[in-house]
Amino acid sequence: MRRVAVIGVGVTKFGKHERTSAELFAEAAADALLDAEIPPSAVQALYYGNVVGGETEHQLHTGPQAASILGIPAIPTTRFETACASSHAAFRHAVMEIAAGVSDVVLVGGAERVLNVPTPESTEYFAYASDAGWEQTLGLTFPGVFALIARAHMQKYGTTEEQMAAVAVKNHKHGTLNPKAQFQKEISVEQVLKSAYVADPLKLLDCCPFSDGGAAVVLASEEVARTRTRPVWVLAAAAASDWMLLGDKRDLARVPATERAAAAAYRQAGLGPADVDVVELHDCFTIAEIVATEGLGLFEPGAGGRAAAEGRTSLGGAIPVNPSGGLKAKGHPIGATGAAQIAEIVTQLRGAAGPRQVADARVGLTHTLGGNTATVLVSLFGRD
Amino acid sequence: MTEPAITLQTFFERARDGRLTAVRCRKCGELAIPPRQFCPACGERAWEAVRLSGEGAIESFTVIRVAPRAHAADAPYAIAVVKLTEGVSLLGRIVDISLEKIAIGVPVRFRPLVRGSQTAVGFGPA
Ligand SMILES: [Zn+2]
Repeated sequence: MRRVAVIGVGVTKFGKHERTSAELFAEAAADALLDAEIPPSAVQALYYGNVVGGETEHQLHTGPQAASILGIPAIPTTRFETACASSHAAFRHAVMEIAAGVSDVVLVGGAERVLNVPTPESTEYFAYASDAGWEQTLGLTFPGVFALIARAHMQKYGTTEEQMAAVAVKNHKHGTLNPKAQFQKEISVEQVLKSAYVADPLKLLDCCPFSDGGAAVVLASEEVARTRTRPVWVLAAAAASDWMLLGDKRDLARVPATERAAAAAYRQAGLGPADVDVVELHDCFTIAEIVATEGLGLFEPGAGGRAAAEGRTSLGGAIPVNPSGGLKAKGHPIGATGAAQIAEIVTQLRGAAGPRQVADARVGLTHTLGGNTATVLVSLFGRD
Repeated sequence: MTEPAITLQTFFERARDGRLTAVRCRKCGELAIPPRQFCPACGERAWEAVRLSGEGAIESFTVIRVAPRAHAADAPYAIAVVKLTEGVSLLGRIVDISLEKIAIGVPVRFRPLVRGSQTAVGFGPA
């Protein structure tokens, strides 16, 4: 298999936009191509993530639509849907296309538009990632899924609402250092604890926002990447799945798909958790970050809440997590999130992250989770 | 072609009548809801339908306060993962137990929630 590198990244500002998801993707993709110093004509395929376009924009077939708006309609395009992990799944398949020698330059990205519909409507569309016959009929929501996980984690390990709040406070603080982030203001533990319950024990400020936005990365074979000034190498791209129904999960306090995808990624790269310098992970809810840091092996099961409260995952801490502000503060346009996380890690490994730079970051990890924890992608990145 | 021991449709038809059903692997004894083709434990396709007691205890729960459109009129409402006495777990709506009395370990009993042609899993007081 050939080595694969990321040679260009682009991300729109996250938040409310008056543009279609295809337009948002095209803006990010144009920035990524400029960053890669590569002409659009060099792109041989597009792997694209978009989740609720069918609902919020009445738009299917978003792959060719995105490529058309970008101005490169003739290349093969494929849309991926693995709930919130869609563009990370797209990334993994693009890596395999280049590694297999099929293409030399592939564009990966995603976009989402949801703020054009009211919250009860978007809440319903996001719940489509849970089982229609067994779970949607109960009125289960996306915060509800993680509330069930949070309660189980609190019961098993003694994790507290204050520890969860510490994750939100930390990611908001990081978000103030990221001009592309949806939220640019700090919040306090007290504010989180006083915010209204959405799905007990999760409160409004434990939850990431609904967001519009796009993200893109340009991947290249080693041969092409060597002609660029600052390639970042893909050391691993791994995926795992789990049972669809929450009732089938044997231990709600853990996410087995994260543990399996992480084990596969570390094996591919010949690395372990101790080798990772910076992490962008899926903090759709504060408890999700805590469980993910445990599943990735950064902390022992049950130790993630305490670690967050002690500042070990803050910028300047032992293992900085979500320097971009994470989904919590940067925002979570679901189809774009995986690609946006990769863009942040590439920026960090280039040493170009400005005030949120993790000092001397050499190995970075991205972790993206789909909906009800049934899909997880984990990738590892390194620099020369 | 092998006839499945139970389909989703027959599960919910029986549930509507108050009978909670699972499938058990004749080869290794694995119990499952919902039915599937292959046994995840031993890989065989030798299921038989078994009736469950419907009794269990709350494993985890949440109170949904921001609901999807179709359920907005019900909010706030509780959803729980219930571990049944036979060992399998099932997600369901908690009914007829006041929200502040819901806790991990509270015993509950299955009851169908019927809304028009749709049946969902509910649990009420044991
Ligand atoms: Zn079996």
